[in-house]
Amino acid sequence: MVDFTLTDKQREVRALIHGFAATVLRPNALAFDRAHCVPDDFLMRLSMMARAFPSGGGDAELPSEYGGQGDSGAKPAAPKKGSQAQRFTLIGAEEMAWGDASILLCMPGPGLGGPPVRFMGTPEQRARFFGVFQTPGLHFGAYGLTEPGAGSDVSGIRTSCRKDGATWVLNGRKCYITNGARADWVVIFATVDPALGRAGQRAFVVERGTPGFSVGKIEEKMGLRASETAELVLEDCRVPEANLLGGEALYAGKEGFMGAMKTFDMTRPLVGVMAVGIARAAFEYTRDFVRENYLLARPLPRYAQLAAMVAEMGRLVDASRLLCWRAAWMADEGMPNAKEASMAKAYAARAAMRVCADAVQVLGAHGLEKHQLVEKWYRDIKVYDIFEGTAQIQRIVIAKRILREVPTW
Amino acid sequence: MISFELTEEQSLVRETVRKFAADELRPVARTTERGGACPRELRGRAAELGLGLLDVPEAQGGAGLGLLGAALVHEELAFGDAGLAIAILGPHAAPAALVELGTPEQAARLLDRLAAPQARGAIAWSESGPGLPLGGFRTTARRDGDDWILDGEKAFVVNGGVAECVVVFAQDAGTTGWSGAGAFVLDGRGEGATAGARCEWLGLEVVHAAPVRLAGVRVPGRDRLAGAGGFVVGAQRMFARIAIANAARQVGLARAAYESALAYTQDRVAFGKVVAHFQAVSFTLAELAMEVDAARWMVWRAAASFDAGAEGALLHAAQAAVQANDAAWRVADHGVQLLGGAGFVQDHLAEKRMRDTKTLALLGPSDQDHLVAASCALGLTEDAGAGLPISALQPVVT
Repeated sequence: MVDFTLTDKQREVRALIHGFAATVLRPNALAFDRAHCVPDDFLMRLSMMARAFPSGGGDAELPSEYGGQGDSGAKPAAPKKGSQAQRFTLIGAEEMAWGDASILLCMPGPGLGGPPVRFMGTPEQRARFFGVFQTPGLHFGAYGLTEPGAGSDVSGIRTSCRKDGATWVLNGRKCYITNGARADWVVIFATVDPALGRAGQRAFVVERGTPGFSVGKIEEKMGLRASETAELVLEDCRVPEANLLGGEALYAGKEGFMGAMKTFDMTRPLVGVMAVGIARAAFEYTRDFVRENYLLARPLPRYAQLAAMVAEMGRLVDASRLLCWRAAWMADEGMPNAKEASMAKAYAARAAMRVCADAVQVLGAHGLEKHQLVEKWYRDIKVYDIFEGTAQIQRIVIAKRILREVPTW
Repeated sequence: MISFELTEEQSLVRETVRKFAADELRPVARTTERGGACPRELRGRAAELGLGLLDVPEAQGGAGLGLLGAALVHEELAFGDAGLAIAILGPHAAPAALVELGTPEQAARLLDRLAAPQARGAIAWSESGPGLPLGGFRTTARRDGDDWILDGEKAFVVNGGVAECVVVFAQDAGTTGWSGAGAFVLDGRGEGATAGARCEWLGLEVVHAAPVRLAGVRVPGRDRLAGAGGFVVGAQRMFARIAIANAARQVGLARAAYESALAYTQDRVAFGKVVAHFQAVSFTLAELAMEVDAARWMVWRAAASFDAGAEGALLHAAQAAVQANDAAWRVADHGVQLLGGAGFVQDHLAEKRMRDTKTLALLGPSDQDHLVAASCALGLTEDAGAGLPISALQPVVT
């Protein structure tokens, strides 16, 4: 049955994470943004607190980066039909992003490196790489796909890999890697021969401290400043063959590259719902600000224009969320959702851009002030139109699929 | 729990209506538009399929589909043709008024008038001309013993002059503002009620509409609808029902525009390449697909909220209406644009959809009415008549 309400369990988890976001994340958002980092002791406390969160209930598990204890290596490679995992994940992620998107990206855990290990890795690899998150201390995973010369066009990567006995030798540079410098391991995509295109690509888990593996510059960015964005350098970096994700067999067919792409079907609605969280934060802030501060202006016709803008912001937030939920519901039901995942991400990012820009607009000069969060949300949101596939890439994904669809009749 | 899964019954209803719309509506969309009338047989077919009182509970003689089930029907009918989607459903908006403003006794008794296969209903809300009140109506209702006597002129009334069951909105004599307004149910063809010249509009030309003049029309006291929670609340809920149905039509129209552009651009070759494969075109198609989906989920959410009696139902209805109006206009516009000159000429239905969508957007509360309703729901504004169309500002079609 069509239903847009949360279960009691989901409501409970949402309330818990919301409280956490409101009391722990939000109050620190500005300071960390200025410091361009989230302090380790804060992250330590954060992960202790997150451990107290219940997991989703039933067979649902929140990945640990969103406050659950998921990603224990024992997990099956493919989600079970009828699971609520994706929906739970989205509900939690929206609240966290509402609190602060930068801190959310800094949460210890496998991050975007999680899905490829989960979907492409062997059971041994899953156990080994996820196992590190069960040990004390701060642990991170990362995802290294983008290069200076290849971003959206994944098949254009130039980082090379060459088999040499029982090791692979990697050479190249990766950029814009979230948590790249602090990660315990990074999933690195490389090619045996650029001329082979996708067929030549391999995914490796490269562990920190591997000789030849180093950190280049740390980027300064428009937004999400507290989140670490690093350049990674591979110079004759020797990786044991046991770290080739999925083993040689995986790359015999098209599966290897498709594995890399399939992870996006999981992460795109998640990234979309983070944009929803930021947009909702901006919407709610603006709504409350207008309610409290523009009281005397209410009879003026000018006021009605602003009120209407705020109402529109609310609508865009809701429409975006529904598209994300739709994609997540499909994933939980085991339906292919590449198109819907891209729709969710593309729509939510654009709508959120509009909401954050209008928040600044409605608040006037208050919206520009750096001691408020509105200007920060405006800076933070832009990258949602870019990472995890730019707005344009999403449209390519959607277009490819709709051009194959059969019309209603 | 969050779910987008239709029940078996809902899927079945949708499939049935989809086939009906494909086989019997779309092929006659153009001819009926030009004829300016919906054939009797087509309304008979809709009645045969049980498409009468869609969202009226079964206990009151309706189909009991709820607003969500009704939304599925409206989307599919409008996918066939937006004009016929309205014209073949004889009762039109009258059931919404009877259910929301009448007592259960009144609703049951008056809905019975709409149960006959060819019965038609109407709601006469808007008025026209200078100096109209900013809340309430110029048309008056004066007490005479147990009866009421109605005088005035209502404008932009779908089924005006042809409906057996017309809900006329009027002001109790001696009062001003929404709180003194009431709804009166009468036979639109009865004594004292005369229809003016048929409205000629930009789109939805198959829909019959006309102004209705009331000169000393006598309505028995028991046919005055007051609304259980007062007139304003009842009228707001009535318009929420109307808005959700209409938003579902916009989704159907948008889907039709999108799919026809998708088919056309995949069929046509330019510069040695399938037109749909040019990125400027495929990106546009991707946008349209997104708009259609986003609007549909907003409609479903509003309908589900309303059906469940959820607190945010009126806000969700307003949001869904604006979302769908906005999406449908954009999709219909691109539906013409992507066909180029072929979109502008009447060999295709693209240009019709662009006219129909704008007309649909003024059927029931306008976007501006919805934004006021949403602003109020968000605590940004106070307005005693939030969401109710104001003829003095922006009259709408009902």
